[in-house]
Amino acid sequence: MKYLSAAFLLLALLFVSCEDDEDPFTDGEVELQMNFTGDFDGRDLMVQSEAYAYPGGGQLKFQLFQYYVSDLQLVPADGGDPVILSEIELIRYASATEDNVESRTFTVPSGDYSAVRFGLGVKPALNNTDPNNFSANDPLNENEFWNANARYVFAKIEANADLEGDDIFDAPVTIHMGSDALYRTVTLSQDVSFRPGTDAELTVVADIFQAFGGNSDTYDLTVPANRRVHGGNQNVAAGVFNRLAEQFKLTR
Amino acid sequence: MPYRILFLLVSLSLASLSACGPDPEDDAQPVCPECPGEPTDPLITGPSVATDYELEIAEYMPRPILDEDNPLTREGIELGRRLFYDKIMGRDSAFACADCHRQERAFTDGRTLAVGVDGREGRRNAMSLVNLVFNGSGFNWDGSSVKLWEQAVHPVENMFEMDEDWANVLERIRGSDDYPQRFRATYGIDRRSEITQELVVKAIAQFESTIISADSHFDRVFFKNTEFFTEEEQLGADSLFFVENVPVGALHPGCGHCHNAPSFGDNRFKNNGLDDVASLDDFRDKGFGAVSGSKFDNGKFRTPTLRNIALTAPYMHDGRFTTLAEVVEHYADGGHGVENEDPNITGFPLTERKKRALVAFLNSLTDEGLLTDPRFSDPFE
Ligand code: HEC
Ligand code: HEC
Repeated sequence: MKYLSAAFLLLALLFVSCEDDEDPFTDGEVELQMNFTGDFDGRDLMVQSEAYAYPGGGQLKFQLFQYYVSDLQLVPADGGDPVILSEIELIRYASATEDNVESRTFTVPSGDYSAVRFGLGVKPALNNTDPNNFSANDPLNENEFWNANARYVFAKIEANADLEGDDIFDAPVTIHMGSDALYRTVTLSQDVSFRPGTDAELTVVADIFQAFGGNSDTYDLTVPANRRVHGGNQNVAAGVFNRLAEQFKLTR
Repeated sequence: MPYRILFLLVSLSLASLSACGPDPEDDAQPVCPECPGEPTDPLITGPSVATDYELEIAEYMPRPILDEDNPLTREGIELGRRLFYDKIMGRDSAFACADCHRQERAFTDGRTLAVGVDGREGRRNAMSLVNLVFNGSGFNWDGSSVKLWEQAVHPVENMFEMDEDWANVLERIRGSDDYPQRFRATYGIDRRSEITQELVVKAIAQFESTIISADSHFDRVFFKNTEFFTEEEQLGADSLFFVENVPVGALHPGCGHCHNAPSFGDNRFKNNGLDDVASLDDFRDKGFGAVSGSKFDNGKFRTPTLRNIALTAPYMHDGRFTTLAEVVEHYADGGHGVENEDPNITGFPLTERKKRALVAFLNSLTDEGLLTDPRFSDPFE
C-alpha cells in the first residue's frame, strides 16, 4: 500500500512538472501580501487616538471605518483570466490598539499583472445570501446586515465630531452605506511582475477624506441629516460611497 | 455484568485494605501508609470512547463558532452539566456555578452584583449563558477570557465567587465514585490522576455550548410565522428597535446597530454611554480597556444578547438599571458626549407610547422553553 501511494505521488509530481513546462503561468508561485491601508487626508488613520481636522473648522475622531471587498483579483498583463484571490473580505479599522494596515496573504501564480480589481461592497450573489448561512464570526455575519430588503451594509464610517472647535467630540457621525445599486467595481492599474519564489507586496490605500469630498467638495457634517445615514435612506450615502469607490490608490 | 464483578473485587480489596489499618480504638489516621500495594491511583473502568455530538441550531440562527480544541460529545456535555450544577466545585463543597447562573432566570441570578461564598459581593452583574457558541469576541463583560473553557477556571478561584483552590476541587472529583467513570467515558483516560483542571473546564464549556435559546415569541412571529405581534410589539420592532427605514436625519433608537437579530448582541466592545466621566482614565470599571491595555477602550463592555432580557434584570455590567424602561430612558438620553462613546448612541425623542412599545418588543425575546428545558436542568434533582 505504502509503496503504491508513493508511486502515485511520483507519477503525480511528474504530471505536474510536465504541465509546468507548457504553461508559463504555473511556473511557480509567490506569496502575495495584500495590504489595505486606511488614511485620512494623507495621514495614517488612527482609530480614536488621533483627531483629524475637517474643512470648516471641525475635527473628527474615528471609531470605525470598514468596507467589503468582493472578488479581489489580479488582472494578468496578457489579458488572460483574472486570478481570484478572495471572494469576500471585510476590511475593518475599529481598534485603538491596531495600526492602519490590514493585511491578507495569498498564494498566486508568478507572472506579469497589469491591475488589481475588486468590487466595493458585497457582490450581488452574496448580497442575496442571508447571514444565517455563515458562522457568527464570518465577514458576512448578521451585524453587518440590515434586513431582508436592505441587505448588507457595504461600508461604514463612524466618528465623533467636534463641530464647534471646543475639543469636545460630542457630535456622533454614523454613515452606513450599501445596496445592490451602489455596488462598484474598482480597477487599480499598475504593471507588476511577480518572480517565482520571491515575496510580493501590494498596498491598496483608502483615504476617508477623499470619500468626504476632500477640500473642494466637502461633505457637510454640520447638517444633522448628513451625520446619520442608515438603512433605507441611501440617497445621502451615494455621494460618499461613489467617492470612496473612486479614490482608491495602489502602491507597491 | 463484568463491571459488577469488578466492582465487587474492588470493594473487596478496599475492605481488606481497611482491615489492615490501625485498631478502631486507635484515633490515628484512617489509612495505613504501610499497607502493601495500596491502589493510590486505581484504574478507572468502563466505557472510554465518547460519541460525537452535533449542536441542534434553528436554521435562522447563525452557524456556531466551534472550538477545535474541545469537540462536543454526548458524554462530555452530560459530565459538564453535572459539574456545572455540583457544589463540590466551590469552597467546602458548598457553591455551584448554577448558584449564580440559574436556569429559571436564563442563567442569571437576579442580583445587581453577583454574590459568592460568604455573601461576598463581586464587582459585576452575572451574565446570561445562552448562545455562547455565537460569540467570537471573548467571554465576560470585558472579553477577558478568549475561550469559553478558559473562562470556567476563574469563578472557582475568584474569592468573590466560589473561592476554592483547584487542587481541592480536583481531589474531590478524583475521589468521587461517579466522576472518574464519566471522565473516562468522555476523554478515554485510565487513571484518576489524569483528571485535570483542563478536562474539567472543557467539559463545563461543552455543556455551556449546548445552551441555545432561539424559540421566543419573536422567533415564532418573525421566522416561524406561527404567532403574531401585538400592535405595540410591532411598533417597537419596525420603527424603533431595528434600523430599517429610518427617515433621513431622524434621531432613532437604532438598537439593532448593536443588538441585531437574530443574536441580538454583536459581542463587540463599546461604550454605550453609561458613565459621565471627565476623562477616559476615570471609569470606575475600565472594562475592555483593562484587557486591551488602551485607555481608548476604557469604559467599553461587550454588547450582550438581549434574548430573555425580561428575565435577566438588573441590567448592564454593574446591574445599575432595574427595569427595561430605565434602560430605554438611558438610551434616549444619548450618553454624555464622552469621546469614546459609540457614535450610534445618539439619543432620541421618547414618548410614553414609544417606551411601552420598545419594552413590549424586548419582552417578546423570552424563550419560555429554555427555562425548563430538561437538557439544561439540574441533573441532581
Ligand atoms: C458568584 C456568582 C458566580 C458564580 C458562582 C459563577 N459565575 Fe459565571 N459569571 C458571574 C459574573 C459576575 C460574570 C461576569 C464576569 C465579568 O464580566 O467579570 C459571569 C460570567 C460568566 C460567563 C461569561 C458569559 C459570557 O457571555 O461571556 C460564563 C461562561 C460563566 N460565567 C460561567 C460560569 C461557570 C462555568 C461557573 C462555575 C465554574 C460560574 N460561571 C460561576 C457570576 C458567577
Ligand atoms: C452602540 C451600541 C449599542 C446600541 C445602539 C444599543 N446598545 Fe444596548 N448595549 C450595548 C452595550 C455595549 C451593552 C453593555 C454595556 C455595559 O454593561 O456596560 C448593552 C447593554 C444593553 C442591555 C443590558 C443587557 C444585560 O444583559 O444587562 C440592554 C437591556 C440593552 N443594551 C438594550 C438596548 C436597547 C433597548 C437599545 C436601543 C434603544 C440598545 N440597547 C442600543 C450596546 C448598544
